[in-house]
Amino acid sequence: MNCQRFQETLPYIIESGGGGEDESHLQECESCAALVRDLRYIAEQAKLLLPMHDPNPRVWNNIEQSLQREGLLEGRMSPPGHTQKNSTSQKQAKSWTPLGWMIAAAALIIFAVVLINYKPANVQPATLSARNSATDSIQFSSEDQQLISQLSQQSPDAQHAYEASLRDVNAYIADAEQAAKSDPSDASAQALLQDAYEQKEMVYQMATARSLP
Amino acid sequence: MKFNTAPRALALIAASLGICLSAAHAADSRKEARIDIAPGGTVNIVNGDGSVALHSGTGRQLLVTYIAHSAKIEVDQNASANKQRVELITHALPGEKPTADEAKVDYEVTVPAGVSVNVSTASAPITAEGISSDIGLSSETGQITVHNVAKSHVYVRSVTAPVNLQDVTMSFVDVQSTGGAIQLKNVNGQRVAAGTTSGNIDYQGDCSGGGNYILTTHSGAIDVTLPATASVDLTARSATGSVENAFPLQQKPHTSFVPQQGRSFAGTSNSGSSSVELQSFSGKIRVKKQ
Repeated sequence: MNCQRFQETLPYIIESGGGGEDESHLQECESCAALVRDLRYIAEQAKLLLPMHDPNPRVWNNIEQSLQREGLLEGRMSPPGHTQKNSTSQKQAKSWTPLGWMIAAAALIIFAVVLINYKPANVQPATLSARNSATDSIQFSSEDQQLISQLSQQSPDAQHAYEASLRDVNAYIADAEQAAKSDPSDASAQALLQDAYEQKEMVYQMATARSLP
Repeated sequence: MKFNTAPRALALIAASLGICLSAAHAADSRKEARIDIAPGGTVNIVNGDGSVALHSGTGRQLLVTYIAHSAKIEVDQNASANKQRVELITHALPGEKPTADEAKVDYEVTVPAGVSVNVSTASAPITAEGISSDIGLSSETGQITVHNVAKSHVYVRSVTAPVNLQDVTMSFVDVQSTGGAIQLKNVNGQRVAAGTTSGNIDYQGDCSGGGNYILTTHSGAIDVTLPATASVDLTARSATGSVENAFPLQQKPHTSFVPQQGRSFAGTSNSGSSSVELQSFSGKIRVKKQ
């Protein structure tokens, strides 16, 4: 699957998680993986807006009284979007406010704009590689995070040393993978990739040995 | 009654000094042990903080001296029934949580000829001098130094610890470090491999012995300094870094890759008896004449 086809199935992937082919493309293509991460983040944030409630009725009362004192309001005021007759006796309802609707709509618009404007860039391997380095240098797999968490309980010094090493090794693996994919017949790139994985294996072996009771 | 104050003051100072020395002695407990080990046996040492120094010995026993810096830590000595394996394991006593200083143990170990040594530490530096057997050294952050070793297998692993090997000859050498710098001076043998992720690699020597020399890094620099007498078949390649050559090499009639200006080169000097492969992803590679 190429980036173009992947892009076409993006809404389905965000909604359902995607299929095996999508997953394998995500593992291969850092650009698409980064996009999906961003979109999922936006979708998650949009969900958080849903359970937004009205402010307490006392807030409306206070505003109303203040406005009346200032002579700016003569009649009764009700919360926006509500046909409230007695604000003090009404229980707080779990419904959407116009503000909630507006924020959710804004999030959806941003989501749509990102989707529409996304074009898989045809970048040079070196550029892509450098970008991968930068991205991966701040990311850890769940196994890495678990290992770092274990080490943090034992020794902060060790945690820092391993964290830095894992970050470097992950960047090495990303670069070497990219180089090997760019030219599968390049024995040198394959050797670098093998070396990168051996480095990571070494880090894990040493960290695991220290973590044993 | 009149007292002479000077002798009293001196006595007081002497007593205080004595108490201090006793306290220091009580905190740092020094122990010595002579442990029988079979020829060809192995000694395994595990230490967190402190230091480990290995020397070669002439006898048939392992001479172990260690200083524990607190009573919160102890050293377990174990030996297998056939004396083939001896272990010295540093650990905190149950229920104790020693500080980094309290956890320190300084080892001095004299190793008989033919006995293999494996040392693993967290931050304790490791020094191996004149060992005439196989050595496996591993440290997270403590410097690893190996001097004057011949006809051995030298296997070194580090996380960020710098590694320094000097006068290691006719040996199989494998050094890997993710973030530590590796220095190899007069290191030769049938196979000499050094690899890092971000650490620099510095090799000074003649790459003699008709062996394979493989230096690999991701983003660290590789510096190789060769004497004019070096007999090497050398290739240097970097994916995105630069390569520089200031050593007289004869161009090879055929290479397995097409050399790219500034990214790779290949050539031989003298009879080209040893193979030297230098490879980086983004690190700079420099080869120069001694």
